[in-house]
Amino acid sequence: MAAVSFSNVTKEYTSDGIRAVDELNLEIDDGEFLVLVGPSGCGKSTALRMIAGLEEVTDGELAIGDRIVNEVPPGDRDIAMVFQNYALYPHMTVRDNIAFALQVAKLPKPEIRERTQKAAAMLGLTEYLDRLPKALSGGQRQRVAMGRAIVRSPQVFLMDEPLSNLDAKLRVQMRSEIIQIQKRLGTTMVYVTHDQIEAMTMGHRVAVMRKGILQQVAPPQRLYHEPANLFVAAFIGSPSMNLLTCFVGGTASHPVVEVAGHRIGIDARALDRYPRLADSMGEQVIVGIRPEHFAMAGDIDVPEDQHITVHVELAEAMGSEVHIHTPFAVPPVSVEGAPVNAEDEDQIDTSVTHVIARVEGVHVVENDSDARLAVKSHLFHFFDPASGQPLR
Amino acid sequence: MARVGAYAGLVLVAVVVVFPFVVALATSTKNNDDIFRYPPTLVPSEPQTVESDSLTNIDDAGNDVPVYRLTGIDGQYALVDNDVSVAEFRPIDDLERVIRRPLDDAAETGDTVTIDGEEEDVYEVSVDDVTLVVYRSRVTSGGLFVNLDDPTDERIELINLAEPLTRFGPRLENFPEVIQDKQLGRAVSNTVLVTIAVVLGQIITSVLGGYAFARIEFKGRSGLFLLYLGSVMVPFVVLIIPLFQLMLQAGWLDNLAALIIPWVFTAYGTFLMRQFFIGIPKELEEAALIDGASRSRILWKVMVPLARPAIATLATFGFLYAWNSFFWPLVIINSGNPDGRVLSLALATLGGRSSTDVNLVFAGAIIAMTPPILVFLFAQRYFVENSASSGLK
Repeated sequence: MAAVSFSNVTKEYTSDGIRAVDELNLEIDDGEFLVLVGPSGCGKSTALRMIAGLEEVTDGELAIGDRIVNEVPPGDRDIAMVFQNYALYPHMTVRDNIAFALQVAKLPKPEIRERTQKAAAMLGLTEYLDRLPKALSGGQRQRVAMGRAIVRSPQVFLMDEPLSNLDAKLRVQMRSEIIQIQKRLGTTMVYVTHDQIEAMTMGHRVAVMRKGILQQVAPPQRLYHEPANLFVAAFIGSPSMNLLTCFVGGTASHPVVEVAGHRIGIDARALDRYPRLADSMGEQVIVGIRPEHFAMAGDIDVPEDQHITVHVELAEAMGSEVHIHTPFAVPPVSVEGAPVNAEDEDQIDTSVTHVIARVEGVHVVENDSDARLAVKSHLFHFFDPASGQPLR
Repeated sequence: MARVGAYAGLVLVAVVVVFPFVVALATSTKNNDDIFRYPPTLVPSEPQTVESDSLTNIDDAGNDVPVYRLTGIDGQYALVDNDVSVAEFRPIDDLERVIRRPLDDAAETGDTVTIDGEEEDVYEVSVDDVTLVVYRSRVTSGGLFVNLDDPTDERIELINLAEPLTRFGPRLENFPEVIQDKQLGRAVSNTVLVTIAVVLGQIITSVLGGYAFARIEFKGRSGLFLLYLGSVMVPFVVLIIPLFQLMLQAGWLDNLAALIIPWVFTAYGTFLMRQFFIGIPKELEEAALIDGASRSRILWKVMVPLARPAIATLATFGFLYAWNSFFWPLVIINSGNPDGRVLSLALATLGGRSSTDVNLVFAGAIIAMTPPILVFLFAQRYFVENSASSGLK
């Protein structure tokens, strides 16, 4: 087991000069489960492949443990990787697939057999050992890929979107299995995904990347509650954070944001978290409101100026909660690479921002009606519209 | 309805295509007399015989005797003696009628009669218990026929007037005969040797070259590949003389090496393997790299097993070329020394030298034709099989 360390690691493709990874500095601790997340093309897979040795490092230093591995071939790095498409050898049985690395390493036969059996037992593959991959289901293939990684007891596990080819139910199951395996083995794991939920639930820490640049590394909860910038705020969370360009009025001690005819008083506690909001009096800021920062009026006890009445365009009853979709007549804040709260991107109206509010499921909300919502403005996030930096 | 038409058309085409093969196969198993029989038949036949034992009144037991049908008489007759003296008698009052009897089967009366100005002896012959007065018009050689159903029914007839009966009888001796008597054995073993060497050589060079072109980055790769691929466009006739001179310099004239070495490098095969390797997901190789496998191990343990369909295709083409090639062997194996000949050459010589033994020529052709057909039938299933992606997703 070993730590992985990126220092100023850059990957530049000579063909087009694009930097897939730009001066990445990241320390992954020994035994840590780190999730790399970001929109497609953000460089997360490239970073992973650099650890694996499948991509050359253009600049900077990459270390596994105490060893700088820039020039070390993949086979000598003592790492194991699970690919998105599993990359099982189609012509080998499950047993041979799992044992391949050990056979290459010329381990004694009894040891190979024993370790293969053990890994297979751990993943519940014992009865499939003599099958070919094509005779397995998607979940079983996934397990074989896991088994191939586990059997080597490597320094680092690398996972490249390993669950994206599974159906939703299996994905949930495998997710917890991977977490448990990592916990049991205590091996450092780097896990690439574009899936929010995997990112939030699996890792000790999550690293968010965008266009080759690391945006934030933090434990999932902190990532969610203290996004380092507008991109992280917009990217993390599902449904994603509502972003509204608002005018800041009121007084420095008790500001009020105005947007599309609504006035929302900002709780003083928000100023503790975003003190620089006080400097933006009379200016436009981007206010980030998580869907759960709304509640039906009466459900929570907030001052009168923290209520708004909105038109319900669509109410989605999810059982435990209701998602209220309501249009705000302001241009949407666009954050490149972040998911958009809309069913069909072609129909995005550039003059309307669709706000999603998540309220208690006990309420019956009719489509095309009005609803009075209370807002927890002490939880709001505030960003500089120009730089996207938080007003902290 | 359109379907029926289509099938009818296909069947027609199939029959037209297959017919020459059937003729060749039939001819190769006929005996030489059978080939020139009129009307020609597709089924090899041989004279029908019975064991003479079954005919009670024959002494020389143990021989098979041929069976005939006699003109105007029902039943089958065995020819038990093909060299009996036959006398032809004609009744004096009916000179058109001919009665054939063994020479001593007529009693001389001592009288004479004058026919056409010749004085002839007069005999008495009994036909169906009626005694006729006849003269002997001719003494010739004929056969003694016995009715198969009624051994007492014996007849003397002229053999050339009887119709021999035939039955299905392939003459498989043609094959060993052509191999031994016409020295085809050496040609067969040469061809097998050349073919195996060419096929194996082509597979090895194509796999190595195709893999390099598909997966190893090196300077000038695409240019080199284009050049290599371009060589497919150069017609063989252009290469004959330079290639011949090369072989001359190498001292390989009249040598099987000249049939092997130039043909183990194939641009087409390299192209085929490259295309197939490109289609194999890169992740498989990357997984093997991470598992610590070397390039050569990846190639032989991961890529090659997956490329079996492509290799089978390549091997089939290589086989068909090497087995059937005629022109290049004709040019390079030119001393007339039969030890260097391959099948195609040997067949050509056989056709020229032994054209009287048509059955043997065809037997040789069948020997030459069978392995390619078998190989094609066997390899055919690989053309459709593609297992490369089944382990993924």
